[in-house]
Amino acid sequence: MADGNKGKVLRVDLTNEKVTTEPLNREWAKQFFGGKGLAARYLFEELKPGIDPLSPDNVLEIWTGPAVGSMVPLTSRYVVCTKSPLSGTFLDSYAGGFVGPEIKYAGFDGIIIKGRAKKPVYLWITDDKCEIRDAKNIWGKDTYKTEELIRKETGVEDARAACIGPAGEKLSLMACVVNDLTRNAGRGGGGAVFGSKNLKAVAVKGTGGVELPDMDGFVKWAKEMFLKDVVENPDHAGSITDGTPIIVDMSQNAGILPTKNWSTGQFDGSTGINSEAIKTRVLYRKKACFDCGIACGSWSKVTKGRFRGAATEGPEYETLGLCGSNCGMKDIETVVKFAEDCDRMGLDSMSTGNVVAWAMDLYERGILTKEEVNGLELRFGNEDAYVQMPNIIGTRKGIGDILADGSKRAAMKIGKGSEKRVVEVKGVEYPAYDPRGSIGMALAYATSDRGADHNRAWPVAGDAYGSGDPWNPEGKAATCVEDNTRTSIKWSFIFCDFYAVNWTNMGKYATAITGKETTEQDLRVMGKRIWNLVRAFNVREGFSRKDDTLPERMEKEPLPVGKPMGHVVPRADFERMLSEYYSLWGWSEQGIPTMKTMQSHGLGDIARKVPAIE
Amino acid sequence: MAKGIKVDRSKCTGCQVCRLVCSGEHVKSFKPSEARIKVMDKFPEPADFEFKYCIQCDEHPCVDACPAEAIKLDEALGIYKVDKDACTGCGSCVEACPHEGIWLDPTGTYAMKCDLCEGSPQCVEICPKKALSR
Repeated sequence: MADGNKGKVLRVDLTNEKVTTEPLNREWAKQFFGGKGLAARYLFEELKPGIDPLSPDNVLEIWTGPAVGSMVPLTSRYVVCTKSPLSGTFLDSYAGGFVGPEIKYAGFDGIIIKGRAKKPVYLWITDDKCEIRDAKNIWGKDTYKTEELIRKETGVEDARAACIGPAGEKLSLMACVVNDLTRNAGRGGGGAVFGSKNLKAVAVKGTGGVELPDMDGFVKWAKEMFLKDVVENPDHAGSITDGTPIIVDMSQNAGILPTKNWSTGQFDGSTGINSEAIKTRVLYRKKACFDCGIACGSWSKVTKGRFRGAATEGPEYETLGLCGSNCGMKDIETVVKFAEDCDRMGLDSMSTGNVVAWAMDLYERGILTKEEVNGLELRFGNEDAYVQMPNIIGTRKGIGDILADGSKRAAMKIGKGSEKRVVEVKGVEYPAYDPRGSIGMALAYATSDRGADHNRAWPVAGDAYGSGDPWNPEGKAATCVEDNTRTSIKWSFIFCDFYAVNWTNMGKYATAITGKETTEQDLRVMGKRIWNLVRAFNVREGFSRKDDTLPERMEKEPLPVGKPMGHVVPRADFERMLSEYYSLWGWSEQGIPTMKTMQSHGLGDIARKVPAIE
Repeated sequence: MAKGIKVDRSKCTGCQVCRLVCSGEHVKSFKPSEARIKVMDKFPEPADFEFKYCIQCDEHPCVDACPAEAIKLDEALGIYKVDKDACTGCGSCVEACPHEGIWLDPTGTYAMKCDLCEGSPQCVEICPKKALSR
């Protein structure tokens, strides 16, 4: 039956060089929809608890979703799902571009990869087939070159590839998976899991199609939705004109723009790295992912000065904040260069920006000496040192070998108080919204299922960027629970974050996809089931309240300027929000879902496999 | 005077929704490989796109080249359309077209080209950046 799914899963055993296909578990697809939900269900089933994420025992999944490849707007994404080597938790990392739909057109809903290849390989997936190919000619190459070589080697000029750069090969825990040059499944170190399996890339070209139950009716309706709910939707206006860089000014005004390793929330050079700077100094053209009427991406090119020729997509807000202001960089051209090199190396720019800013902080404090940082003057704002860092980290040269594993692990090696300057949860560095000026973000970061993250809950929208009180903990837990529920289902279609799709329309899309009447309520039930499943996964790995943390600096170091001047995240407020959050989810004070809660979500069988759930 | 759709390359962002709606309309599947328009990136130059589609030229060498007389005039629209059932998939039209505006489907069964969707090209109607027009 046509329901958006291809009904087929590709399995690859790299150790034994074996490729098989099997039918999609339709029962699970009914309960967990697709994307995040389905990936989580498979991972829970197939991953042995407590394994080393970089051992052959880890399971690496790539999933599309039932809407991907169809005309449901803004569903170009795929998800890299595995156990994160950076956080040790469940990891789901998403990327737009063109790989997701191509996997569907090649005939598969998902790919499950196990084991470790004896030598570097890549997968070449074409209609209903998959070949394990020798990667000797591309191993060691950066991501741009990798994609180019894959197109050459396969002889298919529009082949798509999700690949890793040198950072992934060298098992940097900040390594991401890159496709279409600049689209990254960024967070959590998925690239290192690729590298640990000797897997350079998953390349794909498909000529098949995706069908939904009522094609005639759907094409007509989807066309209308594409124009009315995407192109003309007022919620998308900023995404269309500016994209995420518009947030730089919003954060600067709210005083929550991470600056100089989180020492302040306003940056005196913010006008050099904001959306206006991009538009007037480096913007070349707007660029869209597959099936998107917004085209938030800006292809930026540096046309003069010492970084002439540098080019990247964006840079996006997170990169502008964490690699820009947080490193004290005042010129967009310099950040473009840094961002390009992060993409080429296959490094998550969010973690990398944080780590470089942290190293600059340590250098200025004398905790790291010039000799220890490869002879560089690693000061805030020093572009000479700054632009070398992605390559140093990506290839693990000198200090790069320590920084490549993220700031938490690096601090364990460096010591000398460096650990006091780190800003992370579960080893994953903070996104670019300072919770001292938006207290709910402290809760969002603490309770995200993959370490500090802004794509599981985003309470900042309602306070620092909206009309709410950014220091009042009241209601923040409820906002996070609602956002967790919504994103769980949104990442299961898989929608792009930038489609401001409401619950009603998600229900209509689900109805059109499955051919079965699906209401907002049905989707909420499913979203909650997915979030609890993932929590149970993390509980099985040993996570609980003790890991849902607030970095010490957020509690003890007041912001010095702007609206949040003098504010911290008070410990008592944080603990109160956390307890309320657990209670709203029906979890224990320790953050463990109760057996009753699990059963109410239809997860009794899952709960029984997690000893800590009672 | 060619009656085909027009393209303003400078406006295209490469979203490919024209190909989705085209295939949805023509083959009842979201299947870019059977769309009647191609939008190709110029890798590694990532934000400039090349288009291939039938411009509905007056010379119509494809029609003259077809041994099966499968490319027939639609009098109402004043353009030539491929009769899928009559087409043998020989590829003579593909060879003959100087614009690369007609090609075979992925299985090599039949030739396909833009037929202007009965006068309301769906790709033109949906293009979010108005890069396509009549």
